[in-house]
Amino acid sequence: MQKPLGPAISVKGLTREYVTRNFFGGVARTTSALSGIDFEVANGELFGLIGPNGAGKTTTIKILTTLLTPTGGDARILGLDVRKDLYEIRRRIGIVFGGERGLYNRVSAVDNLRYFSDLYGVDSSVARKRIPELLEVVGLSDRAQEKVEKYSRGMKQRLHIAKALVHDPELIFLDEPTIGLDPGGARDIRNMVRDLKAQGKTILLTTHYMFEAEELCQRIAVISKGKIVALDTPSELKNMVRDISVIELRTFEATMDYVEALRKLPNVVRVVADLDSEQQTIRVQTPLGADLLPKVTAALPAGARIIDRTIKEPTLEDAYLRLVEE
Amino acid sequence: MHELTPGKQTQGRVGRVIQVLRASVFLTSKLFFADPQWLIPNIIAPFIFTLVAFFLFSGQTSGSSFLLYLVLGSGLMGMWGTTIYASANSIGFDRWNGTMESTLAAPIPLSWIALGRVLFNTLQGVLNAVFILVIGLVWFRVGFTLVNPPAFFFASIMTFLSLSAFGLLMTTILLLSRKGGFITNSMEIPVYIATGTMFPVILLPVVYLPFAFMLAPTWGIEAIRLAALPGYVGLPTTYTVDMTIMVAETFAYLALAFFLFKRVEAYAKKMGTLEEY
Ligand SMILES: Nc1ncnc2c1ncn2[C@@H]1O[C@H](COP(=O)(O)OP(=O)(O)OP(=O)(O)O)[C@@H](O)[C@H]1O
Ligand SMILES: [Mg+2]
Repeated sequence: MQKPLGPAISVKGLTREYVTRNFFGGVARTTSALSGIDFEVANGELFGLIGPNGAGKTTTIKILTTLLTPTGGDARILGLDVRKDLYEIRRRIGIVFGGERGLYNRVSAVDNLRYFSDLYGVDSSVARKRIPELLEVVGLSDRAQEKVEKYSRGMKQRLHIAKALVHDPELIFLDEPTIGLDPGGARDIRNMVRDLKAQGKTILLTTHYMFEAEELCQRIAVISKGKIVALDTPSELKNMVRDISVIELRTFEATMDYVEALRKLPNVVRVVADLDSEQQTIRVQTPLGADLLPKVTAALPAGARIIDRTIKEPTLEDAYLRLVEE
Repeated sequence: MHELTPGKQTQGRVGRVIQVLRASVFLTSKLFFADPQWLIPNIIAPFIFTLVAFFLFSGQTSGSSFLLYLVLGSGLMGMWGTTIYASANSIGFDRWNGTMESTLAAPIPLSWIALGRVLFNTLQGVLNAVFILVIGLVWFRVGFTLVNPPAFFFASIMTFLSLSAFGLLMTTILLLSRKGGFITNSMEIPVYIATGTMFPVILLPVVYLPFAFMLAPTWGIEAIRLAALPGYVGLPTTYTVDMTIMVAETFAYLALAFFLFKRVEAYAKKMGTLEEY
């Protein structure tokens, strides 16, 4: 297919408001989900959109995939207008929504793929060859005739990817494609995304996993409260937190009190803790680096132990947290 | 990942419509047969209904035309039931199945997909009617001599299509209203009565008549009865008049349904979904 000359995605001053109506049909509340965002995605680029819950990622994807009308601004997909050229855009894009929804569970994978290839106008002779190829690619060939309701979460997600590819789209949108998957399942999906990129597809994906964004994306937009607060390559984004380093502690029996004590120490920028497991992980961001260690140890309450401590370079997650908290 | 077989797209609007209708009918039938629940409303319930009716009336009447009347009535009633059920379940199914977004995202009008769904579900009603007819013929030995067989089959097919068009219209109304289930359930009985599936329309109270005349199947059912029952006296119209009015009303339903589907799609795009109401 002929590649358009301009960018694959071009977004200018895009806004979207949601109006929630009350029981009587009056306006109860107006939520501004997007308040003027701008970005471009080049042909063949793998672009990431990250941001906290409710930031506006799904809203952006829905607008770009013509499922939702923008309130203001402009968005062009492969040079086409999302407000006017609905069907032309839809024919040339693939959409993967994360989560369980979007498949017919009572019929087989083949039935699902055949149905969607018909909706997308894929010629039957082509579909007959392409569907087995796709099932092969997503590793579902030997379970292809089974009902989807018997599939694991990971298998369903791989079928979602196959479904988005039946019409061989140029541009693929993935909204949290690895949500709820185990590490192996998530890795499979990431490998598929990389393969698609290698084939020259343009990809826009959202994720809540920073390492995933860092591993996959060439450029990342950080979106917060409906605004893009940063847009750059992963390494440039990390550069924004060059001034700090991170003390990563693995502890035993540490509590929230300890985390609070660490937060009160001078020169501590931020403390992020995962206290849920047997061993806790606590990350302390500080410009002092190893020099802060004595104070960190001194703050430890009786009974708790530090199993392991390392000084690390800041990661994308550290940069992200700074960006979205400001 | 190796390259996929390069694809050509189905060409031409007619080709596309046929492809989508076929896909939609095919999927709906697969979904239908995957769920054994379908036996109850579609085979067992009409079967019991017909049996009861036969036992009640078979002793009392001498002429076989009354039994044929009964067969037609229960068959048509089954068709109405499935039409109404069909429209509630056509796109409503995608709403609770979580496939609304995938459906809306396709590069075709939603009405094409819905029409496929409604056609299959109405066809179920036809099979249902045929089934009842077979019970009547084989078990109760109802004399099945049609006045005019070709006219009977033609009227039956046209009534089936008009029922589908009505189902499509109902689908849009259900999508645009919140209490979809309530509307369909409360529609069923008045519609049975108004279209004369239970009694000839002529026996209806006058207040019902305008409503009955607006329903295309009322005319279809009249035409079917004229073509089937010897000496049938219904409305003071002829077969041709009945059929003409039915076809005209069917086209009106289709036009209104396609118009309302545009509204549904515009609404979905404005809200970003059709799932939350
Ligand atoms: N249909 C809707 N009606 C009203 N408000 C909505 C609707 N959909 C989204 N919103 C609101 O718009 C804002 C942005 O939501 P959006 O789903 O785009 O966020 P997100 O970045 O995808 O979040 P998450 O990470 O949780 O998926 C939120 O405040 C959300 O509550
Ligand atoms: Mg989201």
